[in-house]
Amino acid sequence: MSEPAIRIKELTKDFRIGVRGVKLRAVDNVSLEIGDNQIFGLLGPNGCGKSTTMKILLGLLEPTRGECAIYGTNSRSVKSRNNVGFLPEAPYFYKFLSGRELVRFYARVCGVAKDEIGDRTESVLELVSMQNAAHRRVGTYSKGMLQRIGIAQALVHDPKLVVLDEPTAGVDPIGSHAIAELIIALKERGKTIMLCSHLLAQVEGLCDRVAIMSRGKLVLEGGVDELLEREDQRSLIVRDFNAEAQAEIEAVLEKYGSKLEKVEAPRISLDRLFLAHTDKEAIGSGQDVKEKEGK
Amino acid sequence: MIGSTPSRLLLIARNTFLEAVRQKFFNVLVILSIALIGSSNFFRQFDFGSSELKFIADLGLGSILLFGSILSVVVTAQLFFSEIENRTALTILAKPVQRWEFIVGKFLGIFFVIAAFVSLMFLLLAAMLYWRESTLMENLGGDFTGGRIVQYGGILMMALTELLKFGILVAITLFIASFSNTNLYTVIISFFVMLICQLQYIAKDSWGDLENPIVRGIVWLLASIFPNLQMFNIGEQLIFTPVGATVEMSVYFGIVGYGLIYIVAFLGLSAYSFKNREI
Repeated sequence: MSEPAIRIKELTKDFRIGVRGVKLRAVDNVSLEIGDNQIFGLLGPNGCGKSTTMKILLGLLEPTRGECAIYGTNSRSVKSRNNVGFLPEAPYFYKFLSGRELVRFYARVCGVAKDEIGDRTESVLELVSMQNAAHRRVGTYSKGMLQRIGIAQALVHDPKLVVLDEPTAGVDPIGSHAIAELIIALKERGKTIMLCSHLLAQVEGLCDRVAIMSRGKLVLEGGVDELLEREDQRSLIVRDFNAEAQAEIEAVLEKYGSKLEKVEAPRISLDRLFLAHTDKEAIGSGQDVKEKEGK
Repeated sequence: MIGSTPSRLLLIARNTFLEAVRQKFFNVLVILSIALIGSSNFFRQFDFGSSELKFIADLGLGSILLFGSILSVVVTAQLFFSEIENRTALTILAKPVQRWEFIVGKFLGIFFVIAAFVSLMFLLLAAMLYWRESTLMENLGGDFTGGRIVQYGGILMMALTELLKFGILVAITLFIASFSNTNLYTVIISFFVMLICQLQYIAKDSWGDLENPIVRGIVWLLASIFPNLQMFNIGEQLIFTPVGATVEMSVYFGIVGYGLIYIVAFLGLSAYSFKNREI
């Protein structure tokens, strides 16, 4: 049987606060398995232990008890990070480098072979729609562009697991939609994505499975559909609805022991409305004035 | 796909170097140092004779010591904490990079910055001395019957020992930064330690005279832990007397070895301390 992408076993993390040895339990006996090629959402309120769990997974923090493994390699080992790409929340990169230089820098840090660095860099820049702005210095990038170049650096060594901490925080709906599409594209390429986000509507639309943490504990975990569907209810969408037909429908339902609960007009989400009325070309623009004027 | 350690060290060092030389603080210190060494030119009107060259050398070495020390401590603390506070360290350490590689890479980057500073300053000092010495040789030939009195090879050797002294300071600052929480704390403690290192020879000298075994033990411990930076102050001997006359080559290499050992020791301690740091 192949190893899961992430295996967290009885993980506990205490932080020492103050000099009297008082401890704060940030993660409390969490066990979790995330299978390969899934989009997994780790949810919870601020301070619930999501980021701490993520940092332990990435080897940035030592667990007090328990262990994490990435594709079977203990996350304490540096080797485990060969298979991980990480985008931190509100990423900040070396401002003096251009986007392309930054991605190349991380490719070299990860040990990508010299003759592959150029192709890999261009390929991930294209994937995140940053090829037009890759020559600009990172210091000139907008928040959305920073997130996308951050995703590019996370992907440049072709990791099997991608960990994204609040990838759409502070990004406008167009940028957010582009990142969501990118996450789906990554799954199609066989990657496993672990996602932390407070945008629950987006998580619901993207994730195969979710886990909810509260006060350091894992309180719920499962497939999105299985957690959200009401087993005993179904909705029917009717085109050219006729109010007179409603009585007959109710009678038929009653005959089979069912009951019509509610009749309402389906709504599209505000996100979709926004995207339908804004310029999709703006996604990943970063165009030079010269190019724009030349059009 | 695991890159080699040297290539990762050089990558981190290169980025650290580029970040440092873009800092206004670095540029201001370089300009100030150049101004101070260059200003020795104005003392020629006093006609000190050959002792004027000693004055230029002392002023130059003093400027290098002052600004080099400030640069070593402040730039190291700034660059280290900018990585932690801006969370660029997160993205690097989430890659297959060992913590000690990060520390050593940082050290090398700052060491290259200090090396650039020291090279520039000693080049300027040597140029000032050469130019003034040539002028004095023309005007006061009697004092220079044996030829030039400035040992330019000695200046090069002095540059290396100064570089090693600043290297020790960088390593000490990195060690303090590896466990401290703020930039300011690191800078203050590092300067305090630097002061101890400059004065520790006094403790070493007084060790033999102490009667209380506990105080004697503490003084011995302090004198062993902190490097004696006074050992590197051999400027006048190297610049004005031929190598071997007052400073034997074996002594010189002993000083170089002493510096290297302390750099490696403090880097080891930094790496150990940083390994357990929560980022």
